[in-house]
Amino acid sequence: MKLFEQPGLEFEKELLEMIVDVCKIPDPVPDDFSPDDPLIGRDSALGLDSLDAVEIVVSVEKKYNVRINVEETSRVIFRSVKTLADYIRKQMGSEPQPAD
Amino acid sequence: MTDTAKTDFTHRHFAHCESGSTSNLLFHYGISASEALVFGIGSGVFFGYFPFLKLNGLPLITYRSFPGRLMKNTAKRLGVGVKGFKFKDPEKGMEALDDMLRRGVPVGLQTGVYWLPYFPPPLRIHFNAHIIIAYGANGNGYLISDPVFDEPVTCTREDLKKARFARGMLSPKGRMFHFAGAPEHIDLAAAVVKGIKETCFMMLKLPVPIIGVRGIKFFAKSIRAWPEKHGKRKALLYLGHAIRMQEEVGTGGGGFRLMYAAFLQEAAAILKDDRLLDLSKRMTVIGDRWREYAVSSARIYKDRASEKDNFNLLSDILLDCAEKEQGLFCDLSEIVR
Repeated sequence: MKLFEQPGLEFEKELLEMIVDVCKIPDPVPDDFSPDDPLIGRDSALGLDSLDAVEIVVSVEKKYNVRINVEETSRVIFRSVKTLADYIRKQMGSEPQPAD
Repeated sequence: MTDTAKTDFTHRHFAHCESGSTSNLLFHYGISASEALVFGIGSGVFFGYFPFLKLNGLPLITYRSFPGRLMKNTAKRLGVGVKGFKFKDPEKGMEALDDMLRRGVPVGLQTGVYWLPYFPPPLRIHFNAHIIIAYGANGNGYLISDPVFDEPVTCTREDLKKARFARGMLSPKGRMFHFAGAPEHIDLAAAVVKGIKETCFMMLKLPVPIIGVRGIKFFAKSIRAWPEKHGKRKALLYLGHAIRMQEEVGTGGGGFRLMYAAFLQEAAAILKDDRLLDLSKRMTVIGDRWREYAVSSARIYKDRASEKDNFNLLSDILLDCAEKEQGLFCDLSEIVR
């Protein structure tokens, strides 16, 4: 998770930790995994697929009160941790704060 | 393919391909309608469980109307002329497209996602009902408005031909359609009512046990029986497929129920009937319930289920969705009667 330690990536790191938790990723996140790396699909270094995306959608809704409505948009949103973070930021209009 | 005159087409980013493409095409002809409004007028919300139709060897489940229907319904109900074509010969299909583009007419195309090169590789799935708009051509290929992307994209002739003539379930067969101009006057309220009436009919009245609310109930009963009928391994395979159909293959499920809730909210203002606002809230609750079903299913499939997550629970949630949808569509049909 080293590449998430840089200043300005605090929210991306928080999101990644949430993803690791809800998807119960067994292995440590590789040090060279970056916020721009594929999050979902065959190229995902975390081994996540669309079924994991369903859990992430619901967790994002619960934690940040941001709805991710329809799958075809969410495919684009889930390209990377960065695109997901950007989407949440855009929906909230500022740096996100957890809803709870 | 030759360069076409620049068509003044406005690309806008939307959540879903067919409703987004329809909204963009209508906008081109001077009709402003949100994606949710198009989805409702076109009777987009649906449920069908077709155990005898196979996608990748597993039963077809759909949560939206069949490809092309939404666009045709919406155009017809708004009084917009729509012309549709399909082709046996791929080259003739491409020539017909070129001809329309030379005339400056944007064209809706049914395509297979797998062959569209602008999709990132992990997202190129075998789904043959993806609707996009071609609005011109230049030296780089066709100018494409794909509403699930932020910006317009381009696609070469060979790639577009493969996408338009992809084989397999829901094969596009080169289907293309275009609008033939907008009417002077649009009766939006009448279009909304027609859309709602057909949705209620499809969800409540069709005498087929695999469609609408009856279809959801049938699916709920089937899913409860899967572990015993097919064994754990195959039951999990079926379950993974069912969730991918809901959440991945553009067939919606929870997402489409939430879009219909947004439609009902707009319909309340158009028809000046606040009862539709209440139904909109109920539809949001139903959409969330479909999502709960998807999350529990994903947990079971991924072997990280809690004690309460099992096939019986999934069946119970689906039956609850069916009951709630039955109540909602009955009340909705009363309002527009």
